[in-house]
Amino acid sequence: MRDRHLAFILYSGLALAFMGTASFMGAASVTGAAYGEEPPITIGVPTSVQLQVGRDSIDATALAIEEINAKGGVLGRKLRMVVADETENPQEGVAAINKLTADEHVDVLIGGYTSGVTLAQEPHIADSKTVYIEVGAASPAITDFVRRNYSRYKYIFRANPINAAHQADQLIDFAVAKLKGEEGYQKIAIIGENAKWVQDLSPVLKAGIEKGGMSVTSVDLFDPDTSDFSPLFSKIKASGAQYLMVVLSHANSDVLVKQWYDAKLPLPIGGIDVKSQDNDFFKRIGGKAVSETVANNIIPSPMTAKTMPFWNEFENRFKRGPVYTGAGSYDAVYIYAEAATRAGSTAADKIIPELEKTHYIGTEGLYEFDAQHDVKSGPGYLNFAFAQWYPDGSRVIVWPKEMAKGKMIPPPWITGKN
Amino acid sequence: MLNILVFGAVTSAVYAMLAVGFTLIFGVARVLNLAHGAFYGLGAYSCYLLTGRLGWPLLPAALVAVLFVAAFGVAMERFLVRPLRHSALAVLMITIAVALLFEQAMFLLFGSEARNVPAFINATWSYGELDVSGQRLLTLGAGIAIVALLWLFINRTRLGSAILALSQDREGALYMGIPADRIYAVVMAISAAIAAAAGVLTAPFLTVQPTMDLLPMIKAFSIVIVGGLGSIPGSILAALLLGYSETIVAYAISPAWTEIVSLVAVLLTLILRPAGLLGKRAAF
Repeated sequence: MRDRHLAFILYSGLALAFMGTASFMGAASVTGAAYGEEPPITIGVPTSVQLQVGRDSIDATALAIEEINAKGGVLGRKLRMVVADETENPQEGVAAINKLTADEHVDVLIGGYTSGVTLAQEPHIADSKTVYIEVGAASPAITDFVRRNYSRYKYIFRANPINAAHQADQLIDFAVAKLKGEEGYQKIAIIGENAKWVQDLSPVLKAGIEKGGMSVTSVDLFDPDTSDFSPLFSKIKASGAQYLMVVLSHANSDVLVKQWYDAKLPLPIGGIDVKSQDNDFFKRIGGKAVSETVANNIIPSPMTAKTMPFWNEFENRFKRGPVYTGAGSYDAVYIYAEAATRAGSTAADKIIPELEKTHYIGTEGLYEFDAQHDVKSGPGYLNFAFAQWYPDGSRVIVWPKEMAKGKMIPPPWITGKN
Repeated sequence: MLNILVFGAVTSAVYAMLAVGFTLIFGVARVLNLAHGAFYGLGAYSCYLLTGRLGWPLLPAALVAVLFVAAFGVAMERFLVRPLRHSALAVLMITIAVALLFEQAMFLLFGSEARNVPAFINATWSYGELDVSGQRLLTLGAGIAIVALLWLFINRTRLGSAILALSQDREGALYMGIPADRIYAVVMAISAAIAAAAGVLTAPFLTVQPTMDLLPMIKAFSIVIVGGLGSIPGSILAALLLGYSETIVAYAISPAWTEIVSLVAVLLTLILRPAGLLGKRAAF
């Protein structure tokens, strides 16, 4: 009987352990700029503060604020930032938005990372009538809210990254023009994490690649917590695929790429891999990312006149290179500042028409918004740069052709140099 | 088929290493240690700290990491668990607190990103359809050796007899002059060391991150329920059962389905045989 009691305690304990792990504090922190006489304009940053993407959003926003304040601020007012941790959990995400809008009364929200979190936040953002500029999540559903109900959701904009459908287009271009056209591959296997943005992207990707005359041998979506990829690799190897295209953001691609290398899988790997955009990724996994080709939104290369000054300043200041949310946040602050200046006001109704007219060359390219407030993509606008990890740990752009700085190299075991 | 045989064996060996320590400390000291996953994580992080940050060679780093976690286990038993042993609930809470503390401490010290621990063996073996890294084969061999040594230790040494005596009849053992507190400390050290060894061995192919303690904890827990709380042979049998079931499901259906296997096994065990496969009915 006592042991039965013990068993009950045991399960309650385990449940508690789960809850403890799942719940993180959503504490907000304030970074203030020097106050002018006028009340400051407050930028709320809802993001995943424990992740690199979140830390870069915060640091890059602070950097843009500092630069703008040094030139006198916006409309004679200084900018300041308030941060709230939205984690990767929709519930915490909604709490972060409510904290920023209801408690802190921010003038604009610049942040986001997880599509599922942003989607849960949108009704609350609309209720608060606060302008929101997304800088981290890719699901097309995010701006579809604006298309379906403009008057309610007109506050939502996405400056970064390009949405999953545009990402799919650029992956298709990479597959068909580069992998097939220049490297001669015919069969591709696609794997991705089982998340909203990949569910949106993978059917488009498969159809586009097949339309381009290649065959897709398999499409597998796996749980982001997966830690053993041997079964998946074995299936892909058996399928006869010649190239492994990945679509990853939240999943632990450190493990995936390591296991790909350790298994000496006889096919190169590449695609969207957000963790592999980190500057220390190669070093972090002991050099096993060698030859992985990664779609980057920003890379230390003069993509525009603003890319390298931003990159160098960020690196000097924070002792690391920025990831895409850093570049997106930095540009978004300037886009907002210019719109507010043109509108002569921070009132949402005045700023929205000005944001819609955005024509801004930032660190990643030319920013313009389409009718549903999504950033435009393609030649002349925001583009992916496909960069490959070379054996010395540097990244070399291999696609698109006009940006390419080097040749594509195969994994060392395929060339027999291992 | 060969894939399932080899990868199933590797998974089972890791599960066995996780579960025997967990069941041992429960069987002997009646301590439900929910910080057992933290031992696993701490072993891996210690190894990362010594190799990645301090530049130590791998073998001494691995040994020091395991010894450190064993000492950590003893300290936890002495200063946190022992004063609360009169209440099973209090022990449970303090071990959960240690697990959460581990996660937060790792977040603060090393950040949320995965970290790399170098592999003992970098080569890959290929045979037909099978491609397996040397590190996984080493984990399999080391897992079998560790569990075998534990078996010999408990059944063939004086200290092992004392551990067995305590687990079978605490009061009788005390009357015979067996120093229970000292034995509990030894058992906690062994339990922590085996979990840490699992962490050190698997870290090279699973990497290291702050939340890495949760899944091993759930696995150890599930295996111990299926095998029978307090039964080492039961844990080994259940580790094989779950290790192979998960691998078969991963290959035959999808890797996305593996996590549900252990949960279904727990549910079926509780409905059909609540004492577990080899557990004594009295133990539950």
